[in-house]
Amino acid sequence: MAIVESSSLRPAPAQAGSWLNNAKVRAVLYQILTLAIVVGGIWYLVSNTITNMSQRGMSAGFEFLGVSAGFNISFTLIPYREGDSYLRVFQVGLANTLLVAAIGILFATIMGLFMGLARLSNNWVIRNLARWYIEILRNTPLLLQIIAWYFGVFTLLPNPRMSLAWSDLFYLNNRGFYFPGPVPEPGFGLFLIVLAATVAGAIAYGVWARRLRERTGRILPVLWPVLGIVIAAPVLAFLLLGSPLAWNKPVLQGFNFRGGVNVPPAFCALIIALSVYTSCFIAEIVRAGIESVSHGQTEAARALGVKPSRTMASIILPQALRVIIPPLISQYLNLTKNSSLAIAIGFPDLVSVWMNTSLNQSGRAIPIVAMTMGFYCAVSLFVSLVMNQYNRRVLLKER
Amino acid sequence: MNTLSPPQAAHLTDTPDTVKVFVPAAARAAPSSTLGAAAWIRKNMFSSVPSAFLTILGIWVVYTVLNGFIGWAWTNAVWEASSRRDCLDKVGNAGACWPGVVVWIPNLIYGLYPKDEVWRINLAFALLIVWLVPLWLPRVHSKVAIGLSMVLLFPLFASYMFMGGEKGAIWTALIAVGLTGFLWTVLTAVTETLWGVPVLRMVARKFGATTAEAESRIGQVVLLALFGVALFIVFELDFVEVRTRVWGGLFLTMVISGFGIAFSLPAGIVLALGRRSKMPVISLLCTTFIELFRSVPLITILFMFNTMLPLFLPAGVEVNQLLRAIVAVCLFASAYMAEIVRGGLQAIPRGQYEAASAMGLGFWQSTALIIMPQALKIMIPNIVGNFIGLFKDTTLVSIIGLLDLLSMARAVGQDTLWIGLFIEPFFFITVIYFVFCFAMSQYSMNLEKRLNTGHKR
Repeated sequence: MAIVESSSLRPAPAQAGSWLNNAKVRAVLYQILTLAIVVGGIWYLVSNTITNMSQRGMSAGFEFLGVSAGFNISFTLIPYREGDSYLRVFQVGLANTLLVAAIGILFATIMGLFMGLARLSNNWVIRNLARWYIEILRNTPLLLQIIAWYFGVFTLLPNPRMSLAWSDLFYLNNRGFYFPGPVPEPGFGLFLIVLAATVAGAIAYGVWARRLRERTGRILPVLWPVLGIVIAAPVLAFLLLGSPLAWNKPVLQGFNFRGGVNVPPAFCALIIALSVYTSCFIAEIVRAGIESVSHGQTEAARALGVKPSRTMASIILPQALRVIIPPLISQYLNLTKNSSLAIAIGFPDLVSVWMNTSLNQSGRAIPIVAMTMGFYCAVSLFVSLVMNQYNRRVLLKER
Repeated sequence: MNTLSPPQAAHLTDTPDTVKVFVPAAARAAPSSTLGAAAWIRKNMFSSVPSAFLTILGIWVVYTVLNGFIGWAWTNAVWEASSRRDCLDKVGNAGACWPGVVVWIPNLIYGLYPKDEVWRINLAFALLIVWLVPLWLPRVHSKVAIGLSMVLLFPLFASYMFMGGEKGAIWTALIAVGLTGFLWTVLTAVTETLWGVPVLRMVARKFGATTAEAESRIGQVVLLALFGVALFIVFELDFVEVRTRVWGGLFLTMVISGFGIAFSLPAGIVLALGRRSKMPVISLLCTTFIELFRSVPLITILFMFNTMLPLFLPAGVEVNQLLRAIVAVCLFASAYMAEIVRGGLQAIPRGQYEAASAMGLGFWQSTALIIMPQALKIMIPNIVGNFIGLFKDTTLVSIIGLLDLLSMARAVGQDTLWIGLFIEPFFFITVIYFVFCFAMSQYSMNLEKRLNTGHKR
C-alpha cells in the first residue's frame, strides 16, 4: 500500500491559503507572535515599574554610587571606612566574594582530588569511607552545612583566653582563627623578583623540554630539576638577603588577641562548608574522569615499554583531564555562586553587603539588583568563553 | 598462515598405532590463600604495607567517630526532660537532649499550621500516595496519563486543601478538575488491574459502544459525569482558611520543591526545544533566559522577586511571599532543567531525527514519540540530580523569611524552654534531608538500570 501511495507523488496543490502550510512562512509567523508576546510582557512590566517608582518617588539612576554609605563592614579585604561611598561598598563585597571563591576553590580541589583517589583505592575500608563521606555530605543542603559549621562549631569555641593553641603561633577561639602575618622588610622585593624569575625560568624549561620531546623524541628529566631550581634558588636568595621577612605573631592581651592575621569565624565556617561540600562533587568528577580512560591505554603503554610514571603523566592524565576539566570548572562556578549563602551567617560578601544591606538602606532596587546580577553573569560568561576555547583545543586533537 | 599449514597437516595425518585417550587429572582445589574471608580481607585490606596502614587508620577513624557519636546520641542522651535546663543538669554537654526535638516534631513537620487543621495536609499527602500507587502496579498501563494527571492536577486540588477559605466559581471548577483527575486515576487503576481496560472505555462498552469514535464520545460523557460528582463534593467542602504565612517545616519544603519539580520538567523541555529551534528569535530568547538564570545564584533571584515583584506588578496587586519564592524557584529550576534536556537531545544521533522524518512524522510527533523517550531515558540521572539539588536549594527560602524545615530547626533554640538547643534539631533535619535525597538518588540508579535496554556499550 505504501508503495502505491509513494508512486503517486504529486506537486503540492496551489490552493488559496496554502501559504499557511509553508514551513518558512509559519516559522516567521511563530517568531513574530513570540516576539510580540515577550515584548508586550516586558513593556507591561516596565510600564508598571515606572508608574510604581514615580509613585514612591524612587529613581533607577546610578548617581547614588557616589553617596556615602555610612555603615560598617565587619570584614574587608580592601581598605574601607565607614564614610566611604556605595561604590566602595560594592568593591568591598566583590573583593570578599572573590576571596572566598579563590580560597574555597583551592581547598575544594585538594580535598576533592584526595577523596576521588580514595574512592578508587584498592583498599575496601578507604574506598567505603570515601564513599560515605561523599554520599552524606552531598545529600544534605549546603546552607544547612554552613549554618551548622558556624553556629554548631565556630561560635561554640572557647573564648580567647581559653583558645585552642598550636605551638604559640596558631590560635582558634570564638573570635576566629589567628595566625602569624608576614611583614616584608627591605630586600623582600628583590626576593620576590628572584622567585618570579625562577618560576618563569622553570616554566620556560618545561615548555622547551616538551617541544624537544615532541620534535625529536628525546626525553629530558623535568620534574626533579624544576622542583629543585624552584625551591633551591629562592631559599638561597632568601638566606643571602638576610631573611627579609618578619612574622607578626598574635599575642593575647587582655580579653583579645593583638597582632597576627585574624580570620573571622564566619569566614572559616563559610570556607570549610563550601570546600567540603564542593569537594564531594569534585571527587566524583575525578573518579569518573580516571575511570573513563580505558585500561587498554595503560596496557598499551606497558606493551610499548613506557615507564609507569610517564604512563600516568603523558597518557592517562591528558585523556582523563579532557573529561575532568569541563565539569570541574562548572563546579568552581557553582562554588562562586554558592558563596552568596554567606548572607545566612553574616559574612559580608557581595550579596549580603550589596544586595541586602545597601539595597535596604538606599532603596535603589533596580541598579543594585542589576549590578549584582551583572557581576555573576560576567563571571559565568567569561568562564564559558574560556571553556569554549579549551573545548575547541581539546576537540581538535580527536580523530 | 600458509607457512604454518604443511607441518600441521603432516602432524594430523601422522596416526599413532594405539589410540590414547586423553584423561585430564582432577582439578586441584583453588589455593587456600585465595578462598574465604581471610583471603578477601588480605586482598582488600592488607595487600601491602601502606594499604594495611591505611586500613588501620580508617578503622580507627570510624571507631572514634562512631564511639563519640553513639555516646552522645544514645548512651549519654537524655530522653525525658521538661526543659533544656533539665538536660544540662543531668548530663551537661556530654549527651544529646532529645525531648526538645520530640516536643518540636509537629512544628518541624507542619510549621505553625493550626494543629486542628493538620489532618488536611495528611489527607492531601495520603491522596498523593494513592495517586502514585498505580504507577507501580504492573497491570496498569495508562501510567503516562496517570503520571501527567498527577503532576498537572494534584496541585489544583492540594492548594485548596492546604489553603482553604473562600472559593469563587473559577476556583471551584479548578478544584473539581483536580478531584476529577483523582477519581479517574483510582477508577482506572481498579478497572485496569481487574479487567485490563481503562474505566472510560469499560463504561462505554457497557453502554454498547462498538466503534472507537462512539467509545471516546461516551467516554467524554462519563468524564463529564465524574466532573459533576467532583463538583458536588467540592461544593460540600468547606475548609477554614489557613494563611500561607503560617505554613512551614517539612510541609513547606515539600510544597516548594513539589511545585519546582512539577513545573521545571515541562518548562525545561520547552526551553530546550526552543533553544535548539532553527527559528533565530525563539532560540535567542530561550538562550538568553537560560543563561541569565543559570549564571546567577538562586539567592539573588529570590531577593529580586522578593523586592522587585511588587514594583513589576500594577499597584494594588499583592503577591504573597510564598508565591514569590515558588515562582523564583520554578524559573531557576527550569533553566537548569533546560540545559539537562538539551544535553540529552544532543546525545540522540541525527539518524533518529532523519528516520522519524522519513516515516513522515512532523516535528511534534517525532519529538514526542521518537526523540524525547530516548532522550529522557539518557537524562534520568541528571534529571533526578536536578530534583535533588532543587530539594536542597529550598532551604534558601529561609533567608527571605519563610519558615521552612531549616528555619523551624533554628526556631527550636529560640523556644524559652529549649533555649540554645541547636545541634539536636539540626541533626534531626539533616537526617530528613539525607533520607530524601539519598532515596531519590538510589531510586534514579534503580530506574536507570531497569530502563536500560542495552543501547549502552
